[in-house]
Amino acid sequence: METNLILEGFKFMGLGMATVFAFLVILILMINLMSIIIHKYFPEPQAGNVITNAPTASANKNNKDNKKIIAAITAAITRHRQA
Amino acid sequence: MKSFVIKLFTLFILLGVSSAYASVPAHSPEETVNNTHKEETYETKPFSEMVGGFLTSTGIYAFINPNPDELDSHGATISDFHKSWGRIIMIILTFFLFWLAIRKGFEPLLLLPIAFGGLLANIPIAGIAGEHGFLGIIYNMGLSNEMFPILIFMGVGAMTDFGPLLSNPKTALLGGAAQFGIFGTLVGAVALSHFGLADFTLQQASAISIIGGADGPTSIFIATKLAPELLGAIAVASYSYMAMVPIIQPPIMKALTSEAERKIKMTTLRHVSRLEKLVFPIMVLTLAILVLPAATPLIGAFMFGNFLKESGVVERLNDTLQNSLINIVTIFLGLGVGSKLAANEFLVPDTMFIMALGIVAFSVGTASGVIMAKIMNLFPGNKVNPLIGSAGVSAVPMAARVSNKVGMEYDRSNMLLMHAMGPNVAGVIGSAVAAGVLISLFQ
Repeated sequence: METNLILEGFKFMGLGMATVFAFLVILILMINLMSIIIHKYFPEPQAGNVITNAPTASANKNNKDNKKIIAAITAAITRHRQA
Repeated sequence: MKSFVIKLFTLFILLGVSSAYASVPAHSPEETVNNTHKEETYETKPFSEMVGGFLTSTGIYAFINPNPDELDSHGATISDFHKSWGRIIMIILTFFLFWLAIRKGFEPLLLLPIAFGGLLANIPIAGIAGEHGFLGIIYNMGLSNEMFPILIFMGVGAMTDFGPLLSNPKTALLGGAAQFGIFGTLVGAVALSHFGLADFTLQQASAISIIGGADGPTSIFIATKLAPELLGAIAVASYSYMAMVPIIQPPIMKALTSEAERKIKMTTLRHVSRLEKLVFPIMVLTLAILVLPAATPLIGAFMFGNFLKESGVVERLNDTLQNSLINIVTIFLGLGVGSKLAANEFLVPDTMFIMALGIVAFSVGTASGVIMAKIMNLFPGNKVNPLIGSAGVSAVPMAARVSNKVGMEYDRSNMLLMHAMGPNVAGVIGSAVAAGVLISLFQ
């Protein structure tokens, strides 16, 4: 009974380490596969594209923001004058 | 119409006044009864007796003359030693933990709440760690049902960047090898019971061995599931050894590597696309679902946090997980674990063995990570600096920093930090898998 317990410990070790390694090996294979697929079919947008798009988007946003700020300032001035 | 409203109004007033009058005689007898009742119970005592009665309720008296009727949380009696000297020893021990946390900077975020919880838990009479004390309530709220470790895991997930692992996946093997510390210690703990030195069941041995995973939340999760009676010792061992990583690891790393190996420069990491980082958590979770559902509470929470972070569209939730939530839960977790530092639960021979086995687990994990890296270097391919093997024990990001620091000692230009983060985060996954194996074996 008592000798069994140590043996039991070694069994646990074998099973546990096998599972951990199996899990990680499969994970490594899947990571490699995933990166191949992603690089082939879903490449990241090229740096050039981003640059051409970015200014227009930010310019629009800036315009919008500026308009909002102007509206807020005018509102504040009128309120100040009324007071 | 107007007169009707006035009539109605006066009616209400009349009703109100009459009912108020009616209620006065109904109340007054009760009050007088109460008053006489009080007068009956309260007897004038001589002042000396009052002082004497008060003195028996002081802490000094309770330390010297322990209350024989006091029961622990399981309803068992506590020995006199644990109620008097044991408590004093534990309080001094918590002062030592304060010193470690504040002066030495050992994981102060957790060690301070744990130590203060321990201090509160050892107060006589107040029963703060008991069923109805606030530490007991915190413990039952989130520790006995494994809630807090899971919440911590979400936060850790949100803080983790899997980029280094994704760009050099084979370093994940190092994180696997370090789990040898867990299972090696399991054998050690079982052997201790075999030779009659300690009396651990297989469940208790497993809960102790998880300290080798160097992952606080996982240790607490497993301990509460498999051996809640050992939680205090296991959590304290786990966090104090994690804090001591910079002291424990370097000698082992240096002993197992040659100077040439320590100077190995690793190839720079490739860029990882956002999509890869987004798919990764789902991939790991899917794998866990298929292979080891018992590990999914830990891995699921971890990957949930990481997925929120990598999605990039829920910045607010990500921010909460990384900061507010993890901070709040850390306070509760620390205090809850501290409640298990009560003398009657901590000052037992088992604690000594747990501390000893814990450091063995840690050292074995570190050593096997380094050895695994050396084995990997026998195969063709990009060389791995064995110093990053030690980062395979989780202890994110401390273990990776240690690898970096030791590497810099031998070559100022050798930056190993990002390379070591790969095995480091793989170690978290590895110990969660190991935890899953242990859980599934006992269910």
